[in-house]
Amino acid sequence: MASTAMSPVRGQAGQAEDFVIRVEDLRVEFRTPIGVSSALDGITFEVPRGKTLGVVGESGCGKSVTGLAILQLVPLPGIITSGRVLFRPHDGSEAINLLEYERMGADMRGTRGKNISMIFQEPMTSLNPCYTVGNQIKEAILLHQTKNHKEAKERAIDILQKVGMPNPERIFGSYPHELSGGMRQRAMIAMGLSCTPDLLIADEPTTALDVTTEANILELMRELQQEIGMSIMFITHNLGVVAQMCDDVAVMYLGRIVEQASVEEIFYDPKHPYTISLLRSIPRLGTNRKEHLEVIRGSVPDPYTRVSGCPFHPRCPSFMPGICDKVYPEALHLPSSPQHLVRCHLYNDLNHQEVATSSGDKSS
Amino acid sequence: MVNYVLRRLLYMVVTLFFISIIGFFIINLVPGSALDARINQLRAQGGEVSYQEIESLKARYGLNDPIPVKYWKWVSGVVHGDFGESFTYQEPVGSLIWSRIGFSVLLSSFALIFTWVVAIPVGVYSATHRYTVPDYVITLIQFIGVAVPDFLMALILLVVASKFFHTGVGGLFSQQYQNAPWSWARVGNLLSHMWIPVIVIAASATAWTTRVMRANLLDVLNQQYVQTARAKGLREAVVIWKHAVRNALHPLIMTLGSLLPSLISGEVIVSIVLNLPTTGPLYISSLINKDMYLAITFLMALSILLVVGNLLADLLLAWVDPRIRYE
Ligand SMILES: Nc1ncnc2c1ncn2[C@@H]1O[C@H](COP(=O)(O)OP(=O)(O)OP(=O)(O)O)[C@@H](O)[C@H]1O
Ligand SMILES: [Mg+2]
Repeated sequence: MASTAMSPVRGQAGQAEDFVIRVEDLRVEFRTPIGVSSALDGITFEVPRGKTLGVVGESGCGKSVTGLAILQLVPLPGIITSGRVLFRPHDGSEAINLLEYERMGADMRGTRGKNISMIFQEPMTSLNPCYTVGNQIKEAILLHQTKNHKEAKERAIDILQKVGMPNPERIFGSYPHELSGGMRQRAMIAMGLSCTPDLLIADEPTTALDVTTEANILELMRELQQEIGMSIMFITHNLGVVAQMCDDVAVMYLGRIVEQASVEEIFYDPKHPYTISLLRSIPRLGTNRKEHLEVIRGSVPDPYTRVSGCPFHPRCPSFMPGICDKVYPEALHLPSSPQHLVRCHLYNDLNHQEVATSSGDKSS
Repeated sequence: MVNYVLRRLLYMVVTLFFISIIGFFIINLVPGSALDARINQLRAQGGEVSYQEIESLKARYGLNDPIPVKYWKWVSGVVHGDFGESFTYQEPVGSLIWSRIGFSVLLSSFALIFTWVVAIPVGVYSATHRYTVPDYVITLIQFIGVAVPDFLMALILLVVASKFFHTGVGGLFSQQYQNAPWSWARVGNLLSHMWIPVIVIAASATAWTTRVMRANLLDVLNQQYVQTARAKGLREAVVIWKHAVRNALHPLIMTLGSLLPSLISGEVIVSIVLNLPTTGPLYISSLINKDMYLAITFLMALSILLVVGNLLADLLLAWVDPRIRYE
């Protein structure tokens, strides 16, 4: 019965080149009275089909804006100034540049919720308090899948059951305030998955939840991903969650992607000093309690001023005067693993010695 | 829900009871009422008839009794539908006020409907077109609407109406319908006279409500669920009207309770300027002449309108916002 709402597994793993979404040189600016802030400063990445890409970084680095920009939902005064967002539907047809669609036009609206859906950080506020959960899930189904109200209701109840709601019929008629945070987030996931999207953008879906509920929700997302073969763009600043959920990771700093690699390489062979510091700042079992946790020196600079050279250089432990504060580093493919991208002058002339020393960390 | 309504009705009766006591006392505290004046007038006339009338007035209104007894005599009269007599008009209060209260309720209701019908769409437009020229124009008009006193606006509209529309000025009816029996033509005539007072009464409330609506909606548009609605692929109109406006109405309905008194007091001023046969002018003159039974009856009628209006506002709120449950 559950499978009626879901299409069969698609996008079998293995085709390495197949992506769901490919973002190229995306730039977003917020033009406010106090100045222009470049929330996204030319980011490029792709989400492989059926896989999960983790997007991590400190608060304000542009993670949410990235997700919103893919759907052309960046709130004013933010505007997308350049770039392409290529979307390739699962039927194998040509990739489409979503940014060519009109922002509120029929094509863009037809993509939202149907091919790409997004769930948000705050389960408490992401459902409308005035309408029942059922009404809000049905709304998406009626928009994209069927015009028949009875059928839409059946599908909604179906999907509520699928996300592990104890009594789907009752939940269907409940108002959001009658549900707990975890239940609301399940309802949001149900809404996001109701039209079996190719890509789910999950913007810190578990940050507001307690640890047990978080574990349940993550488990649920993994199961559903397996079942309908969708891709996930998982936004978080919790590296522990990244380790559990993701296949690839993009590390963001000040609106730029500074490092991008498979989850193993990010954890065992991080290259960028920022990634390394991020990893050092999470507590680990077995470390001496008297030892202080390492924190990243300094704080994120004010977004309205532009830092010359590498944006991380004022806080970087490996700062090289004359280079890092002058030249913006190019994205480099590591010769040892071409899928591993890093933007840092340390690896500029492919300094093999540097690479060797930092990969020595692997064993520790 | 039924329980809640019953309890509210009980509170309403208690509230009205206290209003009647306090109102009655205050009105009776003032020396030299219209009743005294009437008795003095009768005394001056002299004669057997006058003497008997004085005695019957004294007995009926308990002129020499303490205030609580007077109050009791008045209340027991009211229960039987006898509201006392207006001594300045020398007519029973009941026959004086009913049609006037009807017109007042009609005017205030039209003003309220006008307020919402104009303020909600304009507020929504203003919020969704923030920092554009139309938004600035609307804001300017709002400030004018709030700042211009009612009586001045009434006078301006009177001039405009008589100059450009050649409609009758003042009153609620043209000459030929003044005392005619009710007919469709008379209703039409009434409506054609009502737009000026309705606009004047509603003007400042409309301006203010538009402002509130704009601010509320801007607030709501920043909420996550609005973004959720867009992310589903809904049309912008549905996002605004189904998901945002419904949530923005909430504070508007909550202020309905305080909007009612301002509409009613606005009606008083406008009715005096435009010479309308509503409660306003008569209420004021009854207070000035200390025509106490007329005054207290008006006071009670307006109080009943207010508490009933507040109850309706609360029920409306429960209907709009499912989070509010009355046990
Ligand atoms: N409404 C806005 N007005 C002005 N600037 C904004 C606005 N929203 C975002 N920005 C800018 O975009 C940048 C990135 O914001 P974003 O919300 O994507 O951060 P984030 O990485 O999701 O952070 P968090 O982890 O706190 O959610 C911010 O630093 C800010 O400068
Ligand atoms: Mg965010």
